[in-house]
Amino acid sequence: MRLALINTSAFRLSVGYMLLVTLAVGVTLGSAYLLTESLITDEVDLIIDTELQSLEEKFQRSGIPGVTDEINLRIDSWGRIGAVYMLADARFERIAGNVTDWPFEGMPAERWPEFEIGTIEPGRRAVHPVRAAVRRLPDGNLLLVGTDISQGRRFAEKFRFATLWGIGLSTLAAALAGFWFSFRLARRVGEVASTCQSILAGEAGRRLPVTGTRDEFDALAVSVNHVLERLEEQAGTLRATFDSAAHDLRAPLQRLRTRLDALLLRTPPLEASVRDSVESALQEIEHLQRTLATLLQIALAESGAPLAAAAAVDVSALATELVELFEPVAAGQGLTLTAEVAPGATARGNRQLLAQLLTNLIENGMKYVPRGGRIRVGVQSLGAAVRLTVSDDGPGLAGPERARAGQPFLRFSSMGDGSGLGLSLVAAIARLHRAPLALEDNAPGLRVQLDLPA
Amino acid sequence: MHVLLIEDDTEAARFLVNGLRDSGYTLEHAADGRAGLAQALSGRYDLVITDRMLPHVDGLSVIEAMRARHIATPVLVLSALGGVDDRIRGLKAGGDDYLTKPFAFAELLARMEALLRRHPSAPEATRLKVEDLELDLLGRRVTRAGREVELTARELKLLEYLMRRAGQVVTRTMLLEGVWDLHFDPQSNLIDVHISRLRQAIDRGAERALIHTVRGRGYLLGLEP
Repeated sequence: MRLALINTSAFRLSVGYMLLVTLAVGVTLGSAYLLTESLITDEVDLIIDTELQSLEEKFQRSGIPGVTDEINLRIDSWGRIGAVYMLADARFERIAGNVTDWPFEGMPAERWPEFEIGTIEPGRRAVHPVRAAVRRLPDGNLLLVGTDISQGRRFAEKFRFATLWGIGLSTLAAALAGFWFSFRLARRVGEVASTCQSILAGEAGRRLPVTGTRDEFDALAVSVNHVLERLEEQAGTLRATFDSAAHDLRAPLQRLRTRLDALLLRTPPLEASVRDSVESALQEIEHLQRTLATLLQIALAESGAPLAAAAAVDVSALATELVELFEPVAAGQGLTLTAEVAPGATARGNRQLLAQLLTNLIENGMKYVPRGGRIRVGVQSLGAAVRLTVSDDGPGLAGPERARAGQPFLRFSSMGDGSGLGLSLVAAIARLHRAPLALEDNAPGLRVQLDLPA
Repeated sequence: MHVLLIEDDTEAARFLVNGLRDSGYTLEHAADGRAGLAQALSGRYDLVITDRMLPHVDGLSVIEAMRARHIATPVLVLSALGGVDDRIRGLKAGGDDYLTKPFAFAELLARMEALLRRHPSAPEATRLKVEDLELDLLGRRVTRAGREVELTARELKLLEYLMRRAGQVVTRTMLLEGVWDLHFDPQSNLIDVHISRLRQAIDRGAERALIHTVRGRGYLLGLEP
């Protein structure tokens, strides 16, 4: 049996697992990213703040010229890499620094405004992002200190890139692992299921595969195999019991019958009245024999033994032949027996048992449907199944009686004579064929419907 | 006719031996499988009747051993095992017919007769003729005294079965098995009705009836026995 992968619990589990992995990796990398980014910015801000402070102190000590000198000094010689300075007057005109024009529209509103400056690097023009802070000096001039943050930006960008890839790859890995896991699980469960199916279909000797890896599936398979062995043993014992019961009951019946037969063959012949008694005794034996055969067959079918001698049976032909066989007798009873059979419907089964089933249903109808009634045998092909119906317009069965109809030895108030095994055997044969059996109200009458797997 | 009966149930065997001797057969009886096998392998019988469940060697093994030595003597299996697959197993082992216990003595007689009269090597006939009744197997046509008789396909099959065993008693069970391939007994008088229909078609207006009912046994096609 193949399981649709998407329906398996393993698949659902691994989808959940995949989402969880994605979430966990996303949160971890995302917070690391945010943390690192703020760490970098904080460091930049601290440096800018410190420089502004030292330049403000310079202003207090030696005024604008001192600041200008200091700025020029820092730009020229020992300034840090990527440092940006500008001293401007109140109208934002440059006094000193390595930026040519005031980068903002007037005074920036934010505490840490950012802007871009064009630079010339070996061979190309580049635009660098700059993070800065602006202070108004006591004399109204403006002091701008900034840092080229392109390095940090690049780092952040790489970090972001790595984060996204990390999330993507771990999701992919989780998905692959989950798929592999659920595929493997589905395959092993599928093996178990298909083995069970073939055991049910009659290969009683089949066992679940044990891989030898000692995993939980092996443990399960070993236990199930024990159960199967026990069941097979029990079926064998049951079969032997049936055989000996059949033998022990049939042998005395045989002796009885042979004795009576011998009486009939005697010369000179028996007196007519004695002969009649002997013949009716023989009929009783025949009845007994038939009941015994039916009982044994029901018992065998109910024992879970596989269907014997299963082959493709032309159900259409079988139904037609049986209707043809019974039609003259039915007509003699004033009943109309008809076949409405779609040609060529075949199902896997045992021809003799299916013939017995149909015979029982037809005989049942002939027993209970009053003169003038109709019995109809139908065969339809439903694709995956062959539907066999026997319906009549007789007295039918009341709802609760229909529900109990498959039980052995059940006779119904509305039914007269009969061993009461007919419908039980029908039910047993249906079960043996794994064919759902339904008894329905034919309004009026009884409609028995059997869906044989094709 | 020389018949070997292998049966461990002594009482049943005694009745069968007596009954069959009265019916004109020469009988030898073996009470278990080993003795039965030794006798059967001598090959001097026209027919072997064996029970299936026997002490020492079971009935099916007896048949298999016979067939392995190319002894083609017809074998009739008697068995208390009447399941569908039991029958198939019996015939697969090389049995020629299978009778489930308890059976009527008349049934046994009829089946023995059928097995003894069988000529497996006879060439397939294309026409069957009994008195003035003729069946053309190729054209599926039947004539009685030159006059054509209309029959259904099933009636034709029934007639063919009877004509192939003309002069022998054929039981209802044999007809159910041979013509309808049904190996169980339906309860109604099905076969009687079909025979009487066939009789209507064949014997009506004819000078002498060809299809006869043999009381307590079955039917016979041919001139009055």
